[in-house]
Amino acid sequence: MNETDPRAPEDPLDAHIDTASALVGLSIPEEHRAGVRAFLEVARQMEAALAALPPEDTELALAPVYRLPEPPEAET
Amino acid sequence: MSATGPRASAAEIAAAVAEGRVTAADVTEAALARIATEDKTVNAFTAVTQERARAEAAAIDAARAAGRPLGPVAGVPYAVKNLFDVAGLATRAGARINRDHPPAARDAALVRRLHAAGAVLLGALNMGEYAYDFTGENAHDGACRNPHAPGRMTGGSSSGSGAAVAAGFVPLTLGSDTNGSLRVPASLCGVYSLKPSYGRLSRAGSFPFVDSLDHVGPLARSAADLAAAYDALQGHDPDDHASVPRAAEPATPALGDGIASLTIGIPDGWFEAHAAEPARAALARTADALGTAARLRPVTLEGVEAGRAAAYLITNAESAALHLPRLRSRLAEFDPDTRDRFLAGALLPAAWVTEAQRVRRRWLGRVLRAFETVDLLVVPATPFTAPEIGQRRIEIGGREVLLRPNLGLLAQPFSCIGLPVVTVPVFEPGALPIGIQLVAPPWREARALAAAAWLEGAGLATAHPPPAAAAA
Repeated sequence: MNETDPRAPEDPLDAHIDTASALVGLSIPEEHRAGVRAFLEVARQMEAALAALPPEDTELALAPVYRLPEPPEAET
Repeated sequence: MSATGPRASAAEIAAAVAEGRVTAADVTEAALARIATEDKTVNAFTAVTQERARAEAAAIDAARAAGRPLGPVAGVPYAVKNLFDVAGLATRAGARINRDHPPAARDAALVRRLHAAGAVLLGALNMGEYAYDFTGENAHDGACRNPHAPGRMTGGSSSGSGAAVAAGFVPLTLGSDTNGSLRVPASLCGVYSLKPSYGRLSRAGSFPFVDSLDHVGPLARSAADLAAAYDALQGHDPDDHASVPRAAEPATPALGDGIASLTIGIPDGWFEAHAAEPARAALARTADALGTAARLRPVTLEGVEAGRAAAYLITNAESAALHLPRLRSRLAEFDPDTRDRFLAGALLPAAWVTEAQRVRRRWLGRVLRAFETVDLLVVPATPFTAPEIGQRRIEIGGREVLLRPNLGLLAQPFSCIGLPVVTVPVFEPGALPIGIQLVAPPWREARALAAAAWLEGAGLATAHPPPAAAAA
């Protein structure tokens, strides 16, 4: 913990907030920073929880929903 | 029961209208009058479509007078969560930002289907901002209040949809469910809901939240009304890219099938540990009742916490990506209770989200394996009864936890993998409601609805009226 900075800069979450928000063009106002950090912390815990069901390399479901439309009737 | 009264079922109204014992106009006027006087307390409606309702009711009455056939829910009043397009209204999705949108040019697909079935639209309903909510609170439209205890939460995000049915304003509503948004308000408001299989009912013309996880479905005060609405809503729709081209499988004809042939699984472990006393008690009563007619067996679902975590990460990332332009340009106009979560979601590492999609698939495999030995799973819908509006923390199993994320804890694992779930109300008159989830294998909505009808017939599942209505 850096005693002059309550944001605990040694935690990669803080550096991530700065870098990733700049990268996606989001401004994180100082008054929202603690809230954003708290939700990222929850997300980090959730990511750790995924380890209870490690998928095999061949178990894929990477696209949320992707189906090609049928061709127009005139072309079928 | 009077077809114009607050507890009349959709079936009773439709029969009375068809037989000429009441007009659709009278039913509509009675419902509009209830909303005008009682919704000041509940705050379920964000728009009441009186003119449209009167025109639709008049058309039903004219059709009957002319001897034309009526639809299965002709003359039945209903209302929809305000993320469904209603022609002439801006589709709010619970957000102040969306009030700037132009009015919808046409109704959502499910509104068109209920219209074709003869139902009468009374308006649009309150909801949590952009559906990212389990509480029913909304900074822009005000909290929706639980008809059973107006100082308490309705649950969300389909808050108005649960409250309007519980209060007796209408017998049917439509809502949506991404992580539990039909089941949580159904549980806390003491009504029935159906979250169908992912891809069963069309989402076309509804404002999205998380494309991978969004479902839409009905709420009602009886299993028969829920099935009737579901049957009217079914059918493939190419306008929703997730809609699966399956033929409609009507549930109403199978509603009396009972449960004698079923083996019903009661998940232990994680589900037990995350249910507070009222939820455990409701589950025990439900299991006792089911055990008189069906075979029961305990089930251990391995990996449920990973499945729930996958739901959280997919939800957070996809919803934030959807709203990224608004987060960049109109951040101050977001509800404070959704804003920081959306911001965090926009910053998630892609690898976490991709892994969550794969774990989602693996979790589905685990549950499908359980369905090789059982026909239904029975789980509480919420860990506890309705908290007080504004409450932030709650105790489960002797541990104090944040209330918002944990209200949907028991619902998330099943919507994450798209399974059909009927929520039934299991509570004593005068007590705070709580619901039980009947979880079925994919595409077996009819089985869950038949079990719900059996529990209703056994006297266990009942949408008791709120105390004030019961005393009136």
